[in-house]
Amino acid sequence: MTTPLDRELPQNTRAVIGFLREHAPFSNMDDAHLAHFAEHASLQFFADGDVVLSPAEGAVDRFYVVKQGRVQGERVSERTGETETTFEISQGECFPLAALIGERPTRTLHRASGDTFCLSLDHDSFVTLFADSDTFRDFCLRGVSSLLDQVNQRIQSGAMASIGHGSSLDTPLARYALRNPIVCSPDTPIRKAVSRMHDNSVGSIVVTDDNRHPIGIFTLRDLRTVVAESTAPLDSPVSQVMTPEPCCLPATADAFEAAMLMAEHHFAHLCVKDADNQLIGVVSERDLFSLQRVDLVHLARTIGTATHLRTLVSLRSEVSRLVDSMLAHGADSGQVVKIITTLNDVTVRRVLELNLKRHAPGLPFTWLTFGSEGRREQTLLTDQDNGILFQAPAGVSESQARERLLPFADTVNHELAECGFTLCKGNIMANNPKLCLSQREWDDWFQQFIDAATPKNLMYSSIFLDMRAVFGPIDPLQSLLDGVLGRISANPLFQKMLAENALNRRPPLNLFRGFRYASDGEPHTLDLKRQGLAPFVESIRVFALAHQVESANTLERLDALADKGVFDRKDASAWKEAYSLIQAIRMRAHQEQLKQQKPLSNFINPDDLNPLDRRILRESFRQAQRLQQKLEVTYQL
Amino acid sequence: MLERLQAWLNRSRSGRKAQQALAHLPAPKTPQAQPLTDLRLIVLDLETTGLNPAKDEVIAIGAVAINGQRIAMDDQFDLILRRPELDISETVLIHGIGPEALTKGHETEDALLHLLEWMNGDPILAYHAAFDKKFLEKTLRQTLAYSQPHTWLDVAELMPALFPDAKPGGHTLDHWSAQFGLAASARHHAAADALVTAELTLIALNRAGKAGLATLSELNRKLRDVRRLNSLKRL
Repeated sequence: MTTPLDRELPQNTRAVIGFLREHAPFSNMDDAHLAHFAEHASLQFFADGDVVLSPAEGAVDRFYVVKQGRVQGERVSERTGETETTFEISQGECFPLAALIGERPTRTLHRASGDTFCLSLDHDSFVTLFADSDTFRDFCLRGVSSLLDQVNQRIQSGAMASIGHGSSLDTPLARYALRNPIVCSPDTPIRKAVSRMHDNSVGSIVVTDDNRHPIGIFTLRDLRTVVAESTAPLDSPVSQVMTPEPCCLPATADAFEAAMLMAEHHFAHLCVKDADNQLIGVVSERDLFSLQRVDLVHLARTIGTATHLRTLVSLRSEVSRLVDSMLAHGADSGQVVKIITTLNDVTVRRVLELNLKRHAPGLPFTWLTFGSEGRREQTLLTDQDNGILFQAPAGVSESQARERLLPFADTVNHELAECGFTLCKGNIMANNPKLCLSQREWDDWFQQFIDAATPKNLMYSSIFLDMRAVFGPIDPLQSLLDGVLGRISANPLFQKMLAENALNRRPPLNLFRGFRYASDGEPHTLDLKRQGLAPFVESIRVFALAHQVESANTLERLDALADKGVFDRKDASAWKEAYSLIQAIRMRAHQEQLKQQKPLSNFINPDDLNPLDRRILRESFRQAQRLQQKLEVTYQL
Repeated sequence: MLERLQAWLNRSRSGRKAQQALAHLPAPKTPQAQPLTDLRLIVLDLETTGLNPAKDEVIAIGAVAINGQRIAMDDQFDLILRRPELDISETVLIHGIGPEALTKGHETEDALLHLLEWMNGDPILAYHAAFDKKFLEKTLRQTLAYSQPHTWLDVAELMPALFPDAKPGGHTLDHWSAQFGLAASARHHAAADALVTAELTLIALNRAGKAGLATLSELNRKLRDVRRLNSLKRL
């Protein structure tokens, strides 16, 4: 793009403008502001290792943009006393924003990494630009997060196109909750409670004690049962027919949490409480979704009550539609994977229930899931990794129990395949006799897995060390898990081998900060799952297992590790953000592939991304490198 | 700077010509104990109609200034004297001061006086400096009868002297640019080539500082030593 302005400027100044135009936020700035920048810019050189900015220099008086090379931030770790790299600034990125705006010295030593050229503005020119350009000011004040907003806006607007507007799922429940909810005491006759509901045209009434603590809920659905099944005369107290211990959330929870809870338990109403556990309102499914066509709860209930396999199969396409609308309504990638996981869980449970009705194996068992499903990190592209943990009743041997369960498991595995959960190529499924075990057998199995850490075992660590129960009693799994975590946290050698294994997958960046393409995909593509997400998942697993974190979910593990002081909180949130962004880009690619009726794939060509996404993707991979560095330092690899 | 230029333009417009202007030009500086970290240097590149200073003409002059190890975009010189495809009498002056002074049709004479004024007598660097020196001196002599000797340094000499282990694979500006991952924003454009040459100079000055060369005269002495060493090697 050549403007009349350009032609009046010297070649070298025009070249600076051209460079700035390729990089956010400058790419969104007016030509006049870019020209101001370029005309007042200076070019400086820093050799590899030179100090660019130091806290000792006093208040920062220049604004820098890396034109070529890299600048790294250095901080001395309070814990180890070692110097560590805290950030890396590459071509087109700028620094030091906070110090410049705060007119204070920088807190981080900035050092050139490789031969580096920087463009810079003096304080006066920076102030002029800051005052004149809204885009620039917004960027300076909000930093990279203003760029992330742009990305999220685009992800949402893409999905929004097919849905229409709706309110955000981030909205706190306090906004939805009905003020002065309709309540009654436990001894209120049913008839009186119903007439109060009728007078206020609501579908539910909350039963509270003298302290206004909710102790039960009575809904129109409950009334239907009372009338149809004549369970109680209408003069009896409502406490006889209410649902006790109603599901509650604090007012600070958001609409998303409420929707998830409703979807999981098939409730239509939730009580909202304040910090003192006092009832402040009721949220209904209709409140949450009255303005939206998003119907997570309804879909979950339809899946959960389907009576035939073919209904389940047909409902799966609804899940994809729902993901679209969730993205459109402001759900982030973490929320969306949880939705997919929740709906997948409901489907798995329903397939199990339908099979139990037809031919129950007649002994208690827990249905385990491993890998991404175990971590609650499934996207639309998913295959089965499951197993069975059973309790052999008295008089039944473990092998007899297994013989009863295996045909049942085989049917379930194949019906799940019909629902879209691809059969596991590695045969990690409940119909495999090696994965249909009693608690004692599982315990032995894990002991062997940990004590004889063969390369093959380590390869499977990403599957078996991320497990959870989807169906059946949870206690047997809990005690199994306690044993496994205790064993790993007491076995530094196994941890070290896990750490080594986690370093096998390097983030796809080469030495020059370009992308390192996947060797097994189409040319010029990155594997977002294996190259992008796996380095996070695998490294975080090592830390989580070593510190007895029970959750298998990567984001929850990060939170727990920050709580335990293993990770610096800032680091943890940077890693969460980076992981979520890669996941978001991956999901967007999946939705795009579905739309074009292509098979789902985790490979993307970074050239197809816009420059902003590319930069953020690159920065996310850089964060993965930092995390791996921490693993290397911790385990001295 | 701008005021001085405008004052000078007014002087020359008012009828008194180059001779008076020449008398007010800053005198060339010689390499003394000026510290390299706080020094103004001119980095220059000429485009010519050919390689023979006796026959060929300067078409364009591009130059940037290094001041305190920084190249400032508001301190540069970008001038096309004559374009072969254009009317020979037309000169186009483009510089970084501001649109007020952007007037087409300056005489070569005016443009060269402006260049001398802008250079302020500071040492001049160029890649294969002997070439640019011959052409510029010839043009100044013919147009302005100006013959004061300026201090010249050759970047083509500076780079191998300070980076004896580098293997750029050749001796041209392109070779050394590629060695450090640099590229001109436009091919065979005097100002763009001058900027790349100046970028190499920044790299060289950085290295000189680390090698303990603090002043311009020390740097000059280093170049002389390397030259002497090379001629001994050839014997």
